[in-house]
Amino acid sequence: MKKLVLLFTAGAITLLSCSKDSDNGTGNSDFAALEDSVTINFVNKTAIPGYEDLLAKATTFNNVVTALNSSTTEANLTAAKTAWKDMRKTWEQCEGYLFGPVEDDNYDPNMDTWPVDYVQMDSLLNSSNALEIADIEGLATLSLRGYHPIEYILWGTDGKRAAADLTAREKKYITSLTIDLKNTCTNLRNSWISAGGNYSAKVLAAGKGAQPFPTKQSLFTAMAAALADICEEVGESKMKDPYDAKDPNIVESPFSGNSTTDFKNNIVGAYNVYMGTFLGSNGKSLHALVAAKNLSLDNTIQQQFQAAISSFDAITMPYEKAIIDNAQRIVVAKTMSNLVTLKGTIEGDLENFILTNIKD
Amino acid sequence: MRIRKIYLAAALLACPALLMMCTKPAPFSDEDYDPRLSGGAATVFDATSKAFGNVIPGLSNYDQHIHDLGDNSVDQTFVTAPATINSGLGPIFNNVSCRSCHHNDGKGSPTTGTVTSSMLMRLSIPGTDAHGGPLAVPGFGLQLQDLAVFGKTAEASVKITYTEQVYTYPDGTVTTLRKPTYSFVNPYTTLPVNLMVSPRMAPPFFGLGLLVMIPESTLLSYADENDANGDGISGRPNYVYDASKDKMMLGRFGMKANTATILTQAAAAYQQDMGITSRIFPKESSFEQPQTDNLGDDPELPDSLLNAVEFYLLSLAVPARRNTTDGDIMAGEKLFAQVGCSSCHIPTMQTGVDVRYPYLSNQRIHAYTDLLLHDMGDGLADGRPDFKASGNEWKTPALWGVGLFEKTNGTPFYLHDGRARTLEEAILWHDGEAAKAKVKFSQLSAGERGQMIAFLKSL
Repeated sequence: MKKLVLLFTAGAITLLSCSKDSDNGTGNSDFAALEDSVTINFVNKTAIPGYEDLLAKATTFNNVVTALNSSTTEANLTAAKTAWKDMRKTWEQCEGYLFGPVEDDNYDPNMDTWPVDYVQMDSLLNSSNALEIADIEGLATLSLRGYHPIEYILWGTDGKRAAADLTAREKKYITSLTIDLKNTCTNLRNSWISAGGNYSAKVLAAGKGAQPFPTKQSLFTAMAAALADICEEVGESKMKDPYDAKDPNIVESPFSGNSTTDFKNNIVGAYNVYMGTFLGSNGKSLHALVAAKNLSLDNTIQQQFQAAISSFDAITMPYEKAIIDNAQRIVVAKTMSNLVTLKGTIEGDLENFILTNIKD
Repeated sequence: MRIRKIYLAAALLACPALLMMCTKPAPFSDEDYDPRLSGGAATVFDATSKAFGNVIPGLSNYDQHIHDLGDNSVDQTFVTAPATINSGLGPIFNNVSCRSCHHNDGKGSPTTGTVTSSMLMRLSIPGTDAHGGPLAVPGFGLQLQDLAVFGKTAEASVKITYTEQVYTYPDGTVTTLRKPTYSFVNPYTTLPVNLMVSPRMAPPFFGLGLLVMIPESTLLSYADENDANGDGISGRPNYVYDASKDKMMLGRFGMKANTATILTQAAAAYQQDMGITSRIFPKESSFEQPQTDNLGDDPELPDSLLNAVEFYLLSLAVPARRNTTDGDIMAGEKLFAQVGCSSCHIPTMQTGVDVRYPYLSNQRIHAYTDLLLHDMGDGLADGRPDFKASGNEWKTPALWGVGLFEKTNGTPFYLHDGRARTLEEAILWHDGEAAKAKVKFSQLSAGERGQMIAFLKSL
């Protein structure tokens, strides 16, 4: 999936040029201690709180949709839409660290499969299937589960669905789908905590020889690679494919008009991982590691993140319309270009920094 | 004077010739090659979970674009027809996108019928088809589709059970292997009594372009069908019918070297695994079965996308080896050869030349395979012939990247059906032609066995 990889020579040259930059004299033992706090903070202040928050948002979403099911008012429909967007926000930001169980155990497609399978959804809704959670779990395809079928039902194809338009079967269906989301988020949260799958122990054991992170370098490389991957997924796939094809049909989250917000939250999530500021937390992060040895690189990364994030705000039309509007295409192209630049810096300079400075 | 002029002219002519002779490069010795470059120039330095998904460095902008199109296509989730995008899933299928099975461009898990499942069941009955290939099962075809879109009936579901068996090394060390058995639950119609079944895990995507480029003559030079050299290892090529070329060709892909080209491999996976028809296989996997959709929308996959996927698979780079100067790993590499593993897992080959693909041409690669068929004994046998491959034979799988499965897969699984949970278990399942090598491995000290595993993990 990844396109740019450090090559021998290119890497070596970049290393040489970087290592001349300002080294503020952090001692080796201080730096090793810093590596440890970055690891601990990543687990306790970013990864686990992120999934805890996602579970909280999923629980709220389920409660709100359950209320909508029993009392189908415009206010309850609006509340359901808001809860959908709130949950999306956390989820998209959690995609800033898309490695570990979320990837290994396919929690991502369990929640976020695109596109929606309209033909199957119609057959399902027109059938006598009870649409209980067990029935949902027994469906053969994930395109009938997760965010996007719910989005389709809440907003409708034109984004203007009224509460009165929701059928009883649809309401039952999305109620079960939100239980399904909650279950997936529970499993995802549990996969990290010590009372569950305890993936955090594997991260915290980085550098002790055991898989998946026998060295600290391998953990930090994985973190950086995840940052680069999300930049690539947004800038070179989710935005670019519909942009190149000028095809609104292949834009994700079109019903809610939330696509650009989704894209931006992906990059905000990655920036939060870098800065250690996820969900308002603060603590030593990759940013501190880089700043300790190479302030100018840290500045560059921060500036490029900020430039990319703020450039989304110039996309003022819904994304599926922006890609076919001449003026908006220019700002979309600018954002994609910012993301390519940022990805290049992460894959080149940041990953080289890690290879050069994190030797344990 | 006249003569001197000639001497001068001759001397001038000779000089460049001499210079050229002086600078003519001598072949490199082994030590001059970097052992990390498993794919030669088509190698990338990435040991993360995404290590199998990198493009070969240095593609032209146009080639990169096609690669990206293919990359995007293998990610796409198909949905039921008719649909505006990604139309044509099923009606019966094994999974919904390429990457659903080929997790991170790699393997996946040895289960069936779930979104994380990466295993399928090939089926046939005794006999051969018009091309000498396996004979389709009436009502089921050559592969079991264990899922169906809502309202249709899957062919059957698969139940997998494992029996633990203890293996004791000569030094008394005990380890446990697990042997799978498969049964079919709720078949939609009666399965024949003489049914033959072969479980297959999704293989990794990368390095295929280099394997295509190994000259047939090189591979045949390792064949020893009648074991003329008496080393107990025969090794023979599979020759299979290729639908995209409409001719018999040397098989290079598939667990039994039962597919000759990347294009046919990809098109068959689209059709059989996902129910997506293409110009190579324009009929639904459910053709002439009650599940078929009769929509008349075939082929469902545009040629341009199929071609892009073919190129994507051709142009994925091989991940570099790690820690090649580590003492234990170097010792393990020697043991790998001494024990006899490298008789079939051929460490080094040279690719041929194709002017279309300079980055794949003339590369010194370390795939650790001969792409030939070997009798691997009754324990691994599937009892299902596939073209020239017997029910006991399997193709030597490439080992490059095998040390990264723990990264790319979360939990790694090895061998054709994922029964081996560790590389050690995978070695201990070797039998038949590989029995001698396995026995020699078992006779190594625990430390030496560890060195050999460490070597494999560096691949």
